[in-house]
Amino acid sequence: MAKDHRAGSKVRGDKLPAILMASHLLEGDTVFLSESGWTLDPSAARIAHDAETSAAMEAEGKAAASANIVIDPYLVPVDLTESGLPLARHFRDAMRQRGPSIHPDMGKQAEFAPLD
Amino acid sequence: MYRYDEFDERFVRERVAQFRGQVERRLDGSLSEDEFKPLRLKNGLYLQLHAYMLRIAVPYGTMNSRQLRQLAHIAETYDKGYGHFTTRQNLQFNWPKLKDVPEILDLLADVEMHCIQTSGNCIRNVTSDQFAGVAKDEVEDPRPTAELLRQWSSLHPEFVWLPRKFKIAVTGAEHDRAAIKVHDIGLKLKRDDAGEIGYEVSVGGGLGRTPMIGKIIKDFLPKSELLAYLEAVMRVYNSEGRRDNKYKARVKILVHETGEDEFRAMVEEEYAKLDGPTINAPQEEVERIAAYFASPAYETLPETSATLAKAQANDPALARFVEQNGFAHKQPGYIALTIALKEIGAVPGDMSAAQMRAFADIAERYSFDEFRVTHSQNLVLPHVKQDDVPAVFAALKEAGLASANAGLITDIIACPGLDYCALATAKSIPIAQAIAKTFADEERQKKIGLLPIKISGCINACGHHHVGAIGILGLEKGGRENYQITVGGDASEHAALGERLGPGIDAADVPAAIEAIVETYLGEKQGGESFMETVRRTGPEPFKAGFTAFIESRTLETEAVG
Repeated sequence: MAKDHRAGSKVRGDKLPAILMASHLLEGDTVFLSESGWTLDPSAARIAHDAETSAAMEAEGKAAASANIVIDPYLVPVDLTESGLPLARHFRDAMRQRGPSIHPDMGKQAEFAPLD
Repeated sequence: MYRYDEFDERFVRERVAQFRGQVERRLDGSLSEDEFKPLRLKNGLYLQLHAYMLRIAVPYGTMNSRQLRQLAHIAETYDKGYGHFTTRQNLQFNWPKLKDVPEILDLLADVEMHCIQTSGNCIRNVTSDQFAGVAKDEVEDPRPTAELLRQWSSLHPEFVWLPRKFKIAVTGAEHDRAAIKVHDIGLKLKRDDAGEIGYEVSVGGGLGRTPMIGKIIKDFLPKSELLAYLEAVMRVYNSEGRRDNKYKARVKILVHETGEDEFRAMVEEEYAKLDGPTINAPQEEVERIAAYFASPAYETLPETSATLAKAQANDPALARFVEQNGFAHKQPGYIALTIALKEIGAVPGDMSAAQMRAFADIAERYSFDEFRVTHSQNLVLPHVKQDDVPAVFAALKEAGLASANAGLITDIIACPGLDYCALATAKSIPIAQAIAKTFADEERQKKIGLLPIKISGCINACGHHHVGAIGILGLEKGGRENYQITVGGDASEHAALGERLGPGIDAADVPAAIEAIVETYLGEKQGGESFMETVRRTGPEPFKAGFTAFIESRTLETEAVG
């Protein structure tokens, strides 16, 4: 491997709406910034609809990384489902929202209601 | 098998204690992630897409039943009940928690295992031929050399912060099953004209974004001079290798940019300055290590077993398994068996805790308590009495481990890819699964014969796609996963890099593209030629033409539907 991690979403163009995704330091799980702290549930992610909110969320993520709660927080551009849930636009981010495609019995998809 | 002495034991325990302290300091905030990351990587701990991942070293791919049972215990207690064997003969757990890792390392130390130097810019786990000590075409068992290198390179003070990672492979056989030509250093044990044993030394092979075949910089190195000579190679690399650009930091780039002759001269100059006797291992130490790899207490048996012949005649499935997965043993009456972790539709290299336990029992009972991991993500029972094969086959079947496809088109190497890996640009495992399902029919597989397919989910090439007879590389193109296909890659003594057939294609088109390539082979094949023999004779052109025709027909189909 060339690098040990590849943080940051690869979506080009419009970056909104967006959620903030990171890894939990202690558990390693993918976590999302919610309305109050961090959540394991992809449906409970706080959604930024404007640049001001996304900037504030990003700052919150950096603070949480400095406080050794999460690792590599980054904004993930999403599309909203009919019921308003955030679906990552890039397939890599979507993989983190769901869990491994080869193991439907593992990861978020096994523990939480599906996004779509 | 090698057993730890008091120094090995103390070294590994000390490292566990150190890492425990490092994790504590990370958790209480006294270490930042930037400070902690290089420390965790040196202990094999990565952070992947969904979780941490722990990579456990399996030195030269040799293990015993006690170790595998411990891995099963760890898988069930601290992970999700399975492990994944890699192309570096190692084992990875995909779901450990950071807080549990020190405990896992302690459990590993209990069975003489560790995760040291399975990552980071250091000399990595030394890999070898899975049939070491067994193969008939062997000059000498490569494992004592690999073990010597493991001891020499573990925390070698001069080489713990190299420009980049460094991988060494050793083979003792004529036929290269350890892919030595695509390693930073490849060692081949050979005899000189006087019958003395030594090494042919290749440097600067590698895959990744700049694939290279290693260059032979020493035709014959006397065996006793190994460590000093390698120390000279490492010193040249350590001082001259680039540190300004990580993509140009591997020794292959140094050898390429410096030129083979100049690089050789630099090594020789450095070697002349070294005080060999202070570096080379003393003869008694070499002998002490070699003694651990003495052949087990084989029985004196006839060359072939009447019991097995009779059982094969009565059971076509057993006959097929022996024919495909059996490997000729140097000892009369014995056979080595490849256990392909490649059931149709399974994840290449994955093994459940229950399978680990079942296999540990089989290895303990029928293979002198020893087994091997192959770089093709399979396992090997190295010393099975031919008389016992029917019983072994029955036990393997019971455990779901009797897949009779070793080396065939469904025996696919695949890196974890985007399903797990933070570096991946595309999925890899589902592509392997789809191809295996397409070619599931046993008669069809047999007709196609040996055809190693290798899949990587990014240019770093953990799936060795450059040296696959058919290589598949998953990339991202325009926000979609896209797969480039090569043919003609070869990891053996005929080492070659595959050539691209044409533009990248969608995931859904890959199985049909592979079928098109196979059709080209079956059309071009002369006599009993294998896929690789045909490609070597014809070159890639007919395959390119067949692939282009496939793409055109696909485009027409899409347009008709659209």
